[in-house]
Amino acid sequence: MRRKLVSAILAATVVGSMIAAVPVAAESNDETLTVWCWDPNFNIYAMKQAEAAYQKDHPDFKLDIQENVYSDIETKLITAATSGDYSTLPDIFLMQDYSYHKDVTSFPDVFTDLTDSGIDFSSFSAGKLADSTVDGKNYGVPFDNGATIMAIRSDIVEEAGLTTDDFKDITWSQFMELAKTVKEKTGTPMLTTSGGSELVLEMLQSAGASPIVDGEVKIADNEVLAQAVEVYATLVKEGYMTEYTDWDQYIASMNNGDAAGVINGCWIMSSIQAAEDQSGNWTIVNMPALDDVEGATNYANCGGASWAVSSNCENTDLAFDFLKSTFAADVDLYDDLLVNAGAIASYLPAAESSVYQEASDFYGGQKVYADIVDFASQVPAFDCGAYYSDIRSALTDVVTNVVQNDADITSELQNAQDTVEFNIEG
Amino acid sequence: MISGATNKSIDIVRGRLIPGSYLMENFKSLTANQNLGLAMFNSFRNAIVITILTLLICSIAGYGFEIYHDKGKDLLMSILLLAMMLPFVALMIPLFTMFSKIGLVNSWMALVLPSISTPFMIMLFRQASRSFPVDIIEASRLEGMSEIAIFFRMYIPVMKSTYGAAMTVTFMNAWNNYLWPKVILQNNESITMPMLVANLKSGYSVDYGMLMLGVLICTLPTAVIFFCLQKSFSNGLTGAVK
Repeated sequence: MRRKLVSAILAATVVGSMIAAVPVAAESNDETLTVWCWDPNFNIYAMKQAEAAYQKDHPDFKLDIQENVYSDIETKLITAATSGDYSTLPDIFLMQDYSYHKDVTSFPDVFTDLTDSGIDFSSFSAGKLADSTVDGKNYGVPFDNGATIMAIRSDIVEEAGLTTDDFKDITWSQFMELAKTVKEKTGTPMLTTSGGSELVLEMLQSAGASPIVDGEVKIADNEVLAQAVEVYATLVKEGYMTEYTDWDQYIASMNNGDAAGVINGCWIMSSIQAAEDQSGNWTIVNMPALDDVEGATNYANCGGASWAVSSNCENTDLAFDFLKSTFAADVDLYDDLLVNAGAIASYLPAAESSVYQEASDFYGGQKVYADIVDFASQVPAFDCGAYYSDIRSALTDVVTNVVQNDADITSELQNAQDTVEFNIEG
Repeated sequence: MISGATNKSIDIVRGRLIPGSYLMENFKSLTANQNLGLAMFNSFRNAIVITILTLLICSIAGYGFEIYHDKGKDLLMSILLLAMMLPFVALMIPLFTMFSKIGLVNSWMALVLPSISTPFMIMLFRQASRSFPVDIIEASRLEGMSEIAIFFRMYIPVMKSTYGAAMTVTFMNAWNNYLWPKVILQNNESITMPMLVANLKSGYSVDYGMLMLGVLICTLPTAVIFFCLQKSFSNGLTGAVK
């Protein structure tokens, strides 16, 4: 009897679940837009606030925000594009800037062209906008700022008899001198890095150069790139910068005071601020510029994302108007995002608001947010082309071989050039 | 992991290994950030239904392949085993296209169907059926039992340990399945525990205490099942008949 009862319960579970297996159709409402993004404390929060702001004038408007890890968004886009079934795509999705060129070129049918959507793209910095612009057409509304910063521990550099002002608007050769002093007097390396080629690419961008020239890959015979690799190798070899291949150890090195500073996109600040006991000991300055390169600046970009509208969006007018009225116009929204989510805007007018002018106690009273938006406005545009990921990975090999095996920079860059060309042809 | 779940994020980053007193705070952040109850419910429901259906279908198939044995079935089994060599990533897009054509994308049916019949499980039951005494089947037939009754009333009770082993493997696979559910199910209401853990690591600033607690909660059910069925797992894989 008991056995029969158990069997009946199990059978009922199976049958019940199968009956419940009716397709879960997404709610379709004229005023509802579906959104894919990934961080509850950051971009999901931003979308919720934007929804609330837009609802003031459009009470029937609703967002259906679906949380998806970024790599899963890419997998879903590729699956939809390869199978030709775009019906699974949301109306709006957030995409990392470095993926735009490759994805728009490989899967053009996934995206909606935003050039004539009425959004004022001139309110965003050129460097940021270039990432989501392919063949002169806009495919993304820039969201978070990825301006490169150099965060410095003021207490450590002061111990070495320097001030954080010494690190502002300098070149790499000046930086080496200062880092030498800090290393000699405190024993602490000036920088920490998670390895890879990001820093080299940031140096390249800051000098207004690119690994792509007129649509052609130019890694070999690229003097600026060779100089950037050399600077990186010197930093590691002289002990001015420590490499951590593990991301968690890299974060720990900042929080533990194992390095006196870090160069990365400004989003790294949330990790720095996790060490609350270091409040008041950090300062943000711009990154050093490459020496003897015409037009070299102290500004670059690393990371950041932009909102894309998918080809599956039926109500494009609503999607355009929503993005236009919120992320491309609403300074109050950006104020809220800065205070509650730590999201620094790419939208240039946001920097003029009073919230952006407020001093931050963690950074010793510095107006960091206004400074960062100012950095972002000066970032040179960077053409990374459709093969950015391939270039980045080939340059990581270059950096590793040069730093670890003392390999020759010229021949390593030639190898990288051959690898990227092989990938493009394949 | 256990110690990490009780510590603050910054302490974990700084390498603290001693258990702390931050467990409740981590739990509060976890439940505030993610729908833990829903993810647990979905994961249990998916894993239980997939396990029951897999055991039923694969054991019938394995039994059939061995007991009603002929050359055609051997050939079919070889083809099935070849299919085992294909990684799931290679099957994902054709599967997605297939479900898209029959209108099942974003349905629970599409999640379950590809998982309930696997070459490995059929092979496991086929191999185990070799040690099942044929005399029992013949005696039952003489008693006038139908073939279906023989399977359910004679075969299943005798093969308990094989079912135990198969259940452990299937439940663990179904519980940990990430890629296919993520691709085929499109809404937040379908979230499972592995998806929840992935979400915890996706932010720009990761709360390691919350992450460790999420991983701990996600690991517990499979660990408990494994320890409970440990004996039948090893017996089942070696093909013992009780």
